[in-house]
Amino acid sequence: MIRKTIIKELKEIFRDGRFKFSALLVIILIAVAIVIGSNQYKNTNKQYEISQNSERNVWENQGAKNPHSAAHFGTYVFKPKNALALLDQGVDKYEGISIFLEAHSRNEAQYSAAGDQTELSRFGELTSDFILLYVIPLLIIIIGYNSFTKEKEGGTYVLLKSQGISNLKLAIAKLIAVYIPVFIICSVLFLTAGIVLSSLSNYSAFSWDKLLSLYLTYLLYYLVFAQIVLLISTSTKRSGISLVSALSFWILSCFIAPKIAANMAEIKYPYPTKQEFITSLEEAKKGGLSGHNPWSKEAKKLEAKLLKEYNVRHVSELPFNFSGYIMQKGEEHEAEVYFKAYGKLKEQFSNQANTYKSIAFISPFLPTRFLSMGIAGTDYESHMSFAEAAEDYRIQTQKFLNDNNMNNSKYGERGYKADASFWKTLPKFNYTAPTLDVILKQQNTNMAVLVLWVFISGLLLFISTKKI
Amino acid sequence: MITTTNLTKKYGDFTALNNLNLDIKPGEIYCLLGANGAGKSTTINLLLNFIQPTSGTALINNIDVTRQPLETKKYLAYIPENLMLYPSLTALENLDYFSGIAGKSLNKNTMESFLEEAGLQKEAFNKKIKAFSKGMRQKVGIAIALAKDAKLLLLDEPTSGLDPKAGNEFGMLLKNLKLKGVAILMATHDIFRAKEIATHIGIMKHGVLKHQFKANDLSLAELEKHYLETMNY
Repeated sequence: MIRKTIIKELKEIFRDGRFKFSALLVIILIAVAIVIGSNQYKNTNKQYEISQNSERNVWENQGAKNPHSAAHFGTYVFKPKNALALLDQGVDKYEGISIFLEAHSRNEAQYSAAGDQTELSRFGELTSDFILLYVIPLLIIIIGYNSFTKEKEGGTYVLLKSQGISNLKLAIAKLIAVYIPVFIICSVLFLTAGIVLSSLSNYSAFSWDKLLSLYLTYLLYYLVFAQIVLLISTSTKRSGISLVSALSFWILSCFIAPKIAANMAEIKYPYPTKQEFITSLEEAKKGGLSGHNPWSKEAKKLEAKLLKEYNVRHVSELPFNFSGYIMQKGEEHEAEVYFKAYGKLKEQFSNQANTYKSIAFISPFLPTRFLSMGIAGTDYESHMSFAEAAEDYRIQTQKFLNDNNMNNSKYGERGYKADASFWKTLPKFNYTAPTLDVILKQQNTNMAVLVLWVFISGLLLFISTKKI
Repeated sequence: MITTTNLTKKYGDFTALNNLNLDIKPGEIYCLLGANGAGKSTTINLLLNFIQPTSGTALINNIDVTRQPLETKKYLAYIPENLMLYPSLTALENLDYFSGIAGKSLNKNTMESFLEEAGLQKEAFNKKIKAFSKGMRQKVGIAIALAKDAKLLLLDEPTSGLDPKAGNEFGMLLKNLKLKGVAILMATHDIFRAKEIATHIGIMKHGVLKHQFKANDLSLAELEKHYLETMNY
């Protein structure tokens, strides 16, 4: 009964002009998005390689120089493009792609893709995630909205009932039949993406297990939509009403719910303005130790402590250069200030994220959106993880440079220069994206909410079949 | 095959069917006559459990239709007045699907022979239902009923819309099925056909079964007289 119904439903679906047209449209859109995406990905990767190498060259060939001058001279690190950004761009476009690392300051990532585009980019681009998150659910609606209503309107339902069909089996078969075309399209899309990505040279952080989890996430998302569309179709009498209701659900969950969630998060946990943030940073830095100000109260305190510890009368008698030492201590203090300030930002962000998560149950779109970005490594958390790695590297670099100053020069010595070959010994910046299990741990509530949607919509569908 | 006991259906104050007692045995053709709204379709819909009775019981093959609706469906086939099929599927595909629902898996030859038996022309077997007339759809419906190999046929004005030749062929088909021991309940307006094929005839009015006859006990003229008297009374 189930098998026969699936075959019959599929015949009807594939003979339906609306389906043929919309499926073709989706396939074309996907093809275009993948071609554009993979070209963009190749370009970005090439630029990344070039910039990284040339920046390292500049660093290594800066010649004999005082290490602290080198610290101010600084260097850039670049964010590698995540392979799965091909499938979900996330917020990548709005995040900077390189960070300037220098003494005393933690800089923000700069040069976001959106910054290089015209205002038109505000209206969105044709990306795979747009198709995955918005267009395919629409396709599900087109396939399934009249799944039950057509039987009632067409008068075939009485004959079905007289032949002794069980409503539950009918619903299961119809669900499978609605799901199959979407399943095929989704599988082809992910398989193509997998083949394209694994064939690209120098792909960074592409892993089949991340691709697979992304694929499963979307399959669950589509299952929720298929179940809800059928639920609406069982509960309405006319196809027109069913279509309008399903479209309303689509608009509410994909367009309105995210905006409500964003507004709620922002109202509840407002982000400080850039100005407030910088002012508070300056305030915090002011009272503390600075490598360029050995006469401050904090510096004198440190000096006294050091003299006592080494049992000497003057800093010049210390076994290392006090200037280098105080420079490093100042750097550590500043790093601490930044750490605290960014920690607060991060806390605010995670409060917002939690607000988001706590209202994710109002729409299956929200948990999917976050899971997808998270797994693809294009969400804000991924960006933070890169920025934090860059900051760690900056702190290590400063220590590396200050230590050289401290151990190789004398107190009060003017014009100390580290050897031209010294810069090569600085370890290279190496960033690897978080692994899948780290990401999934971050995303566990989103996963739970999505699975909950699957169960609840399925349950409601099967309850609704009792009174068709 | 069919036993109803004081079967009653009320919609608020309106009584669509009042204390109907029917007993139809295998090999009997029971024709229900009556004007529109007399309760003929209500009776059939109650037997199909499409609507629930207000009181009384209906049994098919001694199984209660409200308690075990799926079980009773195994024994019956139903042809409504305006039989609807899937427009984008062919006659054969429709037959295949509806017999599949009934748990029958038939090969193509068997299905074609059922369509032929139902009187559908060969050229139409692989055509989509979209292009079918009402009479052609009705024939596919008959083929579906034949394929189900049911012990009971519930027919709700099945010949309305059929041309006289097809109506006649349909009558012959029912007679054949009667010989095989199939019980048939048919609601109809066609007194002549009823007299010709029925073993029993009932006349209904305002939800009440006014008269019951054995078809052989009276002539067509007498039947017509009874019918008109019942209607005018």
